[in-house]
Order: sequence, then structure tokens, then C-alpha cells
Amino acid sequence: MAKAIPAASAAREAPVTNWWLHPVRVLNQSVVPRLILIVMCAVFILPLFWMVSVALKPTAELSLYPPTFWPQQLRWENFSDAINVFPFWQYLRNTSIITGLTVLGAVISNPIIAYGFSRIDWPGRDKVFFVVLATVFIPYPVLIIALFDIFARLGWINTFWPLTVPLFFGNPFWIFLLRQFFMQISQEVSDAARIDGASELRILFQIIMPQALPALAVVALFAALHAWNDFLGPLLYLQDATMYTLAVGLTFFQSASQYDIQFNLLMAASLLVVAPVITLFLIFQRAFVEGISFGGSK
Amino acid sequence: MADTIVLPNTIQKPPERSGFNRFYRKHRNLIVGLLFISPWIVGFVAFLLYPILYTLQISFTRYSGFGEPVPVGFENYQHMLNDSVFWIAVGNTAFYLALAVPIGVVVAMVLALAMNQPVREVSIYRAILYLPSILPLFALSFVYLALLHPSRGIFNQFLINLGLPNINWLGDPQYSKIALVMLAQFGAGQAALIFLAALKGIPPSFHEAAMLDGASAWRRFWGITLPLMTPVILYDLILGLSLGIQIFTQVFIIFGSDPPGSPANSTMMYVVYLYLNGFRYSQMGYAAALALVLFVVTLILAMLVFRWSRGWVHYEGA
Amino acid sequence: MSNATLHELAGQLRSRRIDRRRFMQGATALGVSGTAISSALRARGAIAQDATTVTFWTTFTDPDLSVIGGMVDTFNEQAEGYQVELVQIPPAQVTDVTQLMTAVRGGTGPDVYLLDRFIVAQRAADGLLQDLTEYGADEAVMSAHLPFARAEATYNGVPFALPSNTDARAIYYNRGALAEAGIEPDELDSSNGPLTWSRIAELANQFNEEGSGGNYSRLGFVPWMNQGWHYTYGFSWGGTFFNADACEVTPDDPAIVEAFQWVQDYCVDLGAQQVQAFGGPTMLPGFPAQEHPFVIGTLGMQVTGDWMIHQLEQYAPDMDYGITFIGVPNEGDESATWAGGWSVVIPEGATNPEPAFEFMSWYAGEPGQRIYTEESAHLPTIAALIEEADLYSENHLFFSQQLLPIAKNRPPLPVGARYWDELTIAWQSNYLGEAEPAAALASVKERVQPDLARFCPIEG
Repeated sequence: MAKAIPAASAAREAPVTNWWLHPVRVLNQSVVPRLILIVMCAVFILPLFWMVSVALKPTAELSLYPPTFWPQQLRWENFSDAINVFPFWQYLRNTSIITGLTVLGAVISNPIIAYGFSRIDWPGRDKVFFVVLATVFIPYPVLIIALFDIFARLGWINTFWPLTVPLFFGNPFWIFLLRQFFMQISQEVSDAARIDGASELRILFQIIMPQALPALAVVALFAALHAWNDFLGPLLYLQDATMYTLAVGLTFFQSASQYDIQFNLLMAASLLVVAPVITLFLIFQRAFVEGISFGGSK
Repeated sequence: MADTIVLPNTIQKPPERSGFNRFYRKHRNLIVGLLFISPWIVGFVAFLLYPILYTLQISFTRYSGFGEPVPVGFENYQHMLNDSVFWIAVGNTAFYLALAVPIGVVVAMVLALAMNQPVREVSIYRAILYLPSILPLFALSFVYLALLHPSRGIFNQFLINLGLPNINWLGDPQYSKIALVMLAQFGAGQAALIFLAALKGIPPSFHEAAMLDGASAWRRFWGITLPLMTPVILYDLILGLSLGIQIFTQVFIIFGSDPPGSPANSTMMYVVYLYLNGFRYSQMGYAAALALVLFVVTLILAMLVFRWSRGWVHYEGA
Repeated sequence: MSNATLHELAGQLRSRRIDRRRFMQGATALGVSGTAISSALRARGAIAQDATTVTFWTTFTDPDLSVIGGMVDTFNEQAEGYQVELVQIPPAQVTDVTQLMTAVRGGTGPDVYLLDRFIVAQRAADGLLQDLTEYGADEAVMSAHLPFARAEATYNGVPFALPSNTDARAIYYNRGALAEAGIEPDELDSSNGPLTWSRIAELANQFNEEGSGGNYSRLGFVPWMNQGWHYTYGFSWGGTFFNADACEVTPDDPAIVEAFQWVQDYCVDLGAQQVQAFGGPTMLPGFPAQEHPFVIGTLGMQVTGDWMIHQLEQYAPDMDYGITFIGVPNEGDESATWAGGWSVVIPEGATNPEPAFEFMSWYAGEPGQRIYTEESAHLPTIAALIEEADLYSENHLFFSQQLLPIAKNRPPLPVGARYWDELTIAWQSNYLGEAEPAAALASVKERVQPDLARFCPIEG
């Protein structure tokens, strides 16, 4: 691994103006890390690359052997064909609404709960927190029947509520994640604020949250991904075809015989489905990666 | 009643005040703490406790999902002992966890260190390394299927070009689980991002001081970086454990042709078996018992991980 | 600071022994409260459904979905007082009947559901399906269908489904590719009757060709590809999978063991893993139909269903191929095949069951099945339609005239899904050369029979 550089200067390349005088330094700081990164990226881009490649191939080219790495002939119509297999725009709208509500629920509820589990010292807290963690291990398939019964009784079937309302009550992973961040923030800051008479809510929103923004951004992103890619939930709770989400729409590329799939169209549709998420990630990655401060130790 | 007596006293009698204050503060903390976690409590009771109690109740019955459950006592639990596929599923899942979780931590760590390199265009690399975690598992599984295709996939072409054997990843029971372990690594970007956040949070002064002492990058990683990352490593271990033990969707898509868990039960994972019992074999009671056993076992596993982590997790504030 | 965290907790939990009686008391209390809560919640959250709409769920996708859609439109034009609404739910791979089960429990299920007929007995035993007798599924309605289809739609003598189409299995052979390899394809002509399995193996071996990396680039025949299932060979060797009198599954029938042994020997002789590497990928989901070895000419013969005619029209329109009987163990034996197919059912909780049945009778009856047969090129279950030769193309005629009359069916059992899965696992271990046929099949019985025993006796 290349020489580790103090984190503060990360992403800012050390200026090497007269590089010919420092060949070793240039090698260590610019060439080696890049080589390693590029090799790793080559592996990790593979699934996406293959999706793009297949998505652009005409059906006939799919059967070539050995497979063509890059389409010999680009067929952009695959995309327009794909969005005609299911009501893409309608499903995009549905998925966006569900995702928006999910993210909202996640960023409101989880910090509050995590605060209660990390910054306030109450008897039994850690025992209860253990219960929170324990819930992570409940296999979802087993909750299906009982949850469906509850939502049916509430009259929520065929609405977005079963997919969004539970998110307003915290998610164990995200509570855990935020708690791990919160616990690293020095206790003195909040003690001082308490002595000044600040309420706990104020401490959370004015002192703790600003320091944990990257973690909150991570939670928001994870929540968005969860909602965007969720498959089983929408499948069970949304029964009207006009209510479906994009993830459910993707299944329509499979035929009932399940062996026969229009692979190029499936990949084209999948790309359209992930495009917004990728965009979102590219926009926000700076927010939670650049200048991250982990805890109160700057 | 206690309030009516104690409360006036504390106001009127200064000597007892500090004693009561301590009590009151504790009390206040409890109330405030509970208020803060109250959303979770509501959600827990509504969306988890009820389903769990329901599951517990069903686990002592024979139940198809319709009509009246027939009480059978501990029959479902006893049946597990003699159920050969149950043990196969336990073994497969344990095998998968034992490989996927530790490898996952290492891969995520390597990714995070790479993402933390001070090169100008690092954000591009980060995005690329993270991308596979964004893809819906449904789509990723299909791509993976195409990549690992024994005769047409480019992965095997690559192996052949390197002079390595052409492995039948998806059809040979020996390799099918390894294929799932490899697939899991494409999702390492998720954990890497959290690791990266932790890396960024390490005060530069720590490294600078160590560098002055002449510590090599290697030694600084083990001596400074790793210990400070332990809280997030613990998080990732728990995450990996709980998600890994519930591996389901990818098995259904990649090995789900007929029946799930093919070839020859080699990818029959615990939750897949649970699901099959509940929704395919009409054995809701047995599925419920399987769920509770899984729940208890994973709790014990988590507890072991926590107990073990006491030796190595480092909280800065501590 | 506040770092009591989980370490302590774990310690506390560890050190605190819970004695057995207290645990049981706790468990009982939990159970009682669970019962109370669940019964309080069990009342249906009924969603008001339009009394004039019959909802019809299907997991079918195109092209068959469009055919069904057209049929529903045709029916709606003449329906009085209500309309049928076709709802496509996502294909069943990940879901099985999960979506149907949960919806029915939640009181939001459909009025009509298109169900794989093979699973009708099990879902009927579960309590998911309604007895159709009270809506008018009498002897006249049921006896219009082929006997095996009727048997599958019935459980314990009660009709729970109306069969809507069927299929059958046969051997397809690529005449052009075989001839090129020096094999005289006329020998396989169905007019010569079925070939013996050993003759099929001989012919196949002339076609085999090894490619790079020790794998096959061409194989004459792979027993387990496509529709070469346990049932296909078990029936071919004259085996029976269920003994109705003893109410016993009989996967250990010596004839089935013999069939398994033949398949295993065949695969092991060629190299079980190499054969797997050749054929396995085609059994994985998402394998493009146009790449199938049979379509591209690298597989000489295969067992598959009548739907292959349509696929070949689409993917290999110029292929010169033939269809013949499934092989026989010995010269002069009767060839056997088996049929499956779909059916329409009324799930519990259906809001408009009477109009639903009216629609089903049309859909699965002569008028509906005639349209479906003509437009989808699937086979009907109505005996009268089988005899109408002009409904079928030449290749289809072989299925309707020669195969359906001799077709068997998988035993309709309340443990049908488990029986199929267990047989398949044994089947896979068998053709991979990883298990002794007799032992593998004995374990199938051991695992399935206890489940079945709870439902015994089962009326034929």
C-alpha cells in the first residue's frame, strides 16, 4: 500500500512542481495509488459495465460466442423498448414518493432515537439497546404474515403506508450506526451545554447533529437505497399494478417459464432504474466523504 | 403517594436536596431517555413484538396459513433434530458466513484505504467502487449470473486466458457457495464508505506524531488506524452477520431454478429453507420454529461477537 | 464515560441463569398474550370491492398474457352485470404463492387466480381454495376434461379448480445436425414407435464431440436437460410415484430406482461434471432461449414439451427437426409421457365468487379453451377439443393425438411441492453422480411420507 498521507490533506494532491527531482515521491504518491485504484475499479465496474454492454446489444448479438465485450452494433432502442414493457414513468413516480417519505422518516427518527441511546445516561439504556440490536436478527420472511395481517387490519394494503410509516420509527442498523458516531463525540461539549441550560433536543440539533452530518448523509443514502431497491415489500403490499415500484417492474422481463428473459431489455431497464440513484450518489458523495469529521476530535 | 410526601420536603428542606436531586436527575434522565427512544418503542411493539409473539405462538402449531392452527407442542422443534435438510442449511449458512463476513471486512477495509488515497480524481474511484452496492440485488444477481456463466461468461474466459481451470461456478456443488461469497464482495462498497468516514475522522496529528517517531505506514496502520476503526468494524461485523445469515434473494435468483438451493442442496441457505417451508410446503408452524431458532442462535452469535469485541473495540471517549 | 455498552450487558445476560420453570412460565405468558393479540387482529380488514368487478390474477407474461387479455375482453363484451379485470402480478419465481396467500389472509385477494394445476391439491388441503361444487362444478363440467387434468383439479373427490390448458413431453431431434454427424434421422421418426434408451445412447454417442478445456462442444443427448425430470424417467420405466391404497409415496419403487440408475450411468460414463457444464447453464434462470444448445445445433436430441414448437418457430425457423416418443427401457415397451398445465381457482375470501365461477366456466370451458388453443398454441384439456384436428398444426397434432391419450400426471398430493423438490434434489445428486439412486430415493420417501401421513386417507 502506498504511503499513507495525513487525512487532512486527503483528496488534495501534494503539489509536486519539480517532479523530476523527486521520482520516488511521485511514484509513491501519484503512480502507485492510481494503479491500485484503477485495478480495483476495473473489477468493481464490471457488473455495471456488463449491464451497459448488454443493454446496448441487439438481441441477435447476445448469442454470439465468445461474447462481445463491447456491442458491435449499438441499439439504443432497447431503452425505449424497455420502458414500454412496464409503465416506467408511473413506477418512477411511485418509487420516488416512497423513497422521499422513507428518507424523511429515517433522518428524523434515527438521530433522535440514537441520541437517546448514546448521549443520555438512563438506567437500563444499554439493555434496551441490546434489544434494538437483537431485532436486526429477525428474519424478514417470518414477519411477512403477521405484518400483512396488521397492515390489512389498518386498511393500508394498496397504499404506500406499509412501506413508509415503519421508517418513521427507526431502523436498528441506522440507530446503531448513528449511536456509534454519537458515542465518539466528546461528552464535555454536551455537559457544558447542559450547564448553560440547553435542552436535550437543542443539544442534539445544534451540537451533535452538525458533527454527525456525514453519518446522517450515510443514513439518508442507505434509506434511499433501501426504498429504491426494495422488492418484497412493494410486491406484497401493493396489489394494484398502477401502484408498483421500479424494482417490481423489473420482474416483468422474466416470463413465467423463468428461463426465457429478454436480457438486453432487462439490463436496459435496470440501468434506467439505477441511474437516479447513481446520480444522487455522485451529487452527495462529497457531502459525506469530503471533509468528514468523525466525532468531536478535530 | 410518594410524590406528595417527598416533593414538598425537597423544596422545603435544603439538606435533603442534593440527595433528592441525584434521584431526580436519574429520574429525569430515564424520562428524557425514554422520550427520545419512544418512536422506536412504538415501532418495536407494533411492527416487531406482535409479529414475534405471533411467530412464537405459531411455532407450537401445525399451520398451513389458513384455517385453524393445530397445537402440536414442541413437535416442530423436535423435528429439526431429525431434519437432514435443516442441518444441510445450517452447514451451508455457517460456511457462507465464515467466509463472507471476514472477507467482507477485509475487502471493505482495503477499499476504504484505497478510497482515502490523496489523488485528485479520487472521487471518481470512490463512486466506481461504491457502484455495485447501489445496484438492486435483483439486477446484480442476473448480471453476476451472466458474468459467471460457465461457457459464455467473461469471468471464465478470463480464467482460461490466464491458464486457470474453467470452473463451473454455478453448477458444481463444490463451488456454488464460493460463488455466493464472491457476489457478496461486490457489496463491500457500503461498508467501505463507513470505514472511509472513520478513516477521515482519525486526527492527522496521530499519524504525524507517529511519523516523527519513524513508524512505517504498515506499523501506523496496525498501531493507529486499525484501533481507531474498531467501532465501525464492530458495526460492520454485526451488519455482515445479520445480513449474511439472512441471505435469500440472490439464492432465489441465481440458484432458484427448481428448486431453490440447487444444485443438490448446495446453496440451500437457512432463510431459503425457512421460506420454502412457510410458503411452498405449507408448513408455517415449522417455518416459525425455524425463525425463532435462527433468532436465538444469531442473538447468541452477536453476544459472542460483542463479548469478543470487548478485547479490541476502542471508543475514543472511553 | 457512558461506555457501559454491550459488553457489560452481554456479561449480565451471561451470568444470569434463567431456570427452566421460570422460562416456561415466561414462554406460556408470551404465548397467551400472543394468542390474545393475534385473535384481536385476526378479524379481516376487508377492503371494499366493487360488486360488479371480478378480479383475475395471473403471473403470466407475454405472449400468453396478451392472449388471456384478449379472452377477458371477449368475455366482457357479453358479460351481464359485471366485468372481469385482469391483473398481472409479478412472475412467481421469488414469490411462489406468497402474494396470493398474504392477500387472501388480509382479505384483499382476487376472485379468480390462475394456478399451476399440479399444486391445486396442496393449496386445497391448505384451505386456500374454495370448493367449486356449490358454484356448479358438477359431473358434467368436470367430465368434459381429460381424466388426468380432472384428477389434478380434484382433491379428496372435491373439485377445487377448472383445468384450463395442458402440455406433454416428447423427444425432439435435430434432423439436420444428426444427419451431418452421420446419423440417419429417419430412424427416430415417430412412425417407427419409441426407441429404446440404449439405442438413443448409441446414437447420441456418435454425435458427441469434445471441445477445448475438456468440456463437450457437442452432445447427442443429456437426459436431465429441459423436461428430462425424475417423473419423465420414472414413468418411462413404468414406475408409480404414489400408492393410493396405502396412502404412501413410492419414490423407492424399483422401476424408478432403475430409471435413476440408467440416467446416472449415462452421465457418469460421459463425465457427470462435463455433462453438467454443458447442460447446466441452460437450466439457470435468464439463459437466452436463442442460445440453447438445441437451437444452435450442438445438442442432438432432448426431452421437452409441446411449447418448444413455438420457440423453434421463433428462434430457429429453418431448423429441420422431428418429434418422437419418449424412449423405452426395452424393445416393445409402451412409451410414457406426462402432462402438466394450469387451472383457474377461486381463493377463499373472494368477494364475487358466483360471477367468478361463471367467468371461469367460460374461460376453462370449450369457448375459452378454443381461443386459447388457437392463439397460444398450448394444448386444451377439453376432450372434445382434442378431437378437432384443425385446431392444431402438424407438429401439435402429434401431441394432441398421440401423446395426450397416454399422458400420465404427477400425483396430486397435499405435499406435491415438497415431493417435487425432494425428488429434484435426489435427481440432481443422482445425475451428478453424487448419490446412490436407491439411497437418494429412499431418503425422499423418508422425508415426504411423514408429511403426507397427516392427510391420509386420501380419496382418489
